[in-house]
Amino acid sequence: MSLFDYFFPRKPASASVAKERLQIVLAHERSGRDGTDFLPRLQKELLAVVTKYVAVEEDMIRVSLGKAGNASVLEINVEVPHTAKPTPAHAAPA
Amino acid sequence: MGKVIVVTSGKGGVGKTTTSAAFAAGLALRGHKTVVIDFDVGLRNLDLVMGCERRVVFDFINVINGDATLNQALIRDKRIDNLHIFPTSQTRDKDALKREGVDWVMRELRNEFEYIVCDSPAGIEHGALTALYHADAAIIVTNPEISSVRDSDRIIGILAAKSRRAEKRESPVEEHLLLTRYSPERVKKGEMLSVEDVKEILSLPLLGIIPESPTVLKASNTGMPVILDPASPAGRAYEDAVARFIGEQREMRFVLPERRSLLRGWFGRAAS
Amino acid sequence: MTVTTASKVQGGIFTLMVVRIADPYDPALDRELAEHVALSPGFFADAPVVLDLRDCLGCTSAEDFTALRQLLRRHRLVPVGVQNASALQLRAAKAVDLAAFSGAQANGARRAAPEVAPRPRLVTQPVRSGTQIYVRGGDLVVVAPVSAGAELIADGHIHVYGALRGRAIAGAAGDRDARIFAHRFEAELVSIAGRYLVSEAIAPEHLGAAAQVALIEDRLAILPGWSKG
Repeated sequence: MSLFDYFFPRKPASASVAKERLQIVLAHERSGRDGTDFLPRLQKELLAVVTKYVAVEEDMIRVSLGKAGNASVLEINVEVPHTAKPTPAHAAPA
Repeated sequence: MGKVIVVTSGKGGVGKTTTSAAFAAGLALRGHKTVVIDFDVGLRNLDLVMGCERRVVFDFINVINGDATLNQALIRDKRIDNLHIFPTSQTRDKDALKREGVDWVMRELRNEFEYIVCDSPAGIEHGALTALYHADAAIIVTNPEISSVRDSDRIIGILAAKSRRAEKRESPVEEHLLLTRYSPERVKKGEMLSVEDVKEILSLPLLGIIPESPTVLKASNTGMPVILDPASPAGRAYEDAVARFIGEQREMRFVLPERRSLLRGWFGRAAS
Repeated sequence: MTVTTASKVQGGIFTLMVVRIADPYDPALDRELAEHVALSPGFFADAPVVLDLRDCLGCTSAEDFTALRQLLRRHRLVPVGVQNASALQLRAAKAVDLAAFSGAQANGARRAAPEVAPRPRLVTQPVRSGTQIYVRGGDLVVVAPVSAGAELIADGHIHVYGALRGRAIAGAAGDRDARIFAHRFEAELVSIAGRYLVSEAIAPEHLGAAAQVALIEDRLAILPGWSKG
């Protein structure tokens, strides 16, 4: 190590590395915190309930969270096929 | 109606109990009737830091279970008028903090005291959530160190989502950043996150900077809140923080390294 | 196809408190229950109890049991069954959904027999902070240190052949003759039959040496060494 390196270190100080790393990780973590992280789970559970009564595929249920003015709007779209049949498990007993 | 202050951090070992003890003592010294509660069920330590461990008979869990009255469990501080300590149980676990019981205790304390300081356990589980639930104000204790800052960020998110105020859609919990174990010398060398860094990352108003100081260990060794030690820089910093909390203007101290002549520095080192 | 069952029957062994009833309408019963429960409310809160009817000539109608149940509920005790009941008492008890527990002695031996004291509980490992040991109905013997923040509770005596730095609560069910013995006495709190002393109230000369704690004339006394007191 030269004397020059000693007086003018080229490596950034560890504190500024720490700050950068923190900013990146927190930006990522905060994005998952606005409440939308439950959507996939909601979609799955809705699917489980709907398929009890009507035979639908996974991609026929869409859940999204949007904004309308000041309010958040939870939108749930369920596509029911014309030929929808009750799921056999819940058909009326013979 | 009393004001509930939670002292929280997410991370352990950052100085929550020291801060709770100092803050409660500081508020009481200013004439406010104050109680400090240990929410760290199973890992009781506030009694030691407050120096009343030899006077604990009943605790928080006894009161919740109806085995003792609130007045039987509250310990009056011998040094400071207006200051009471509410110890917790060492033999139970945090699940013993039953929601209804804690609600009742907090209601009673609000009627009785001006300030209720809640010393939260570390973590983000039941104990920590119970401690922050009733808060009107939160003191986020943070060390200038990446894991502590990240955990503080997490707990701030939880405060905004899971407190009673959030649940009831009241005005949000008042948040204050308290930077502890701060070493201006190390910040200057670029080894430690600076006040400005932490403030910027967490975007919280700064309540105070508590410098790293051997007097904090000395205070907890002797069971005396550090704010009672006039020779302690940490004690003076806590006093400033309490003053700011109740609305006084105080200039930030301990941001920069203490100016010492080279000679004094050398002598100091030789003597230590 | 999965078969699910709505219930699962499993065996379980429980320790239940037994309350001996002589006359369900005796006002003294109310008072005695209150005194007993007040000694350690935590242990009795909503505790299931069995009614021992060996000394009881009444309690032959469902109304008697309903009244008795109300009385016990006022003291936060939950009657779950009867013991040593006559055929008539048993029929009345069953009418109000109290179970029949087999008697302490074989049928016929309905009058009191000398009680056999349970074996003391022996603990050989250090009792760490945060641990609670409770010996219901008997003595506790610890041959290891007991840390500050640990809690020993026994209905009988407590012996610690090591340092006692935690809490010791003897005679937890109200036995005023219970004592606490410690090879090295540094307790945080000692209690006998509901009376207690915190360490701050204990004279420093008692600390660090062998001592015993006894209830003498309604006051806790700390006696150095193993004197008879």
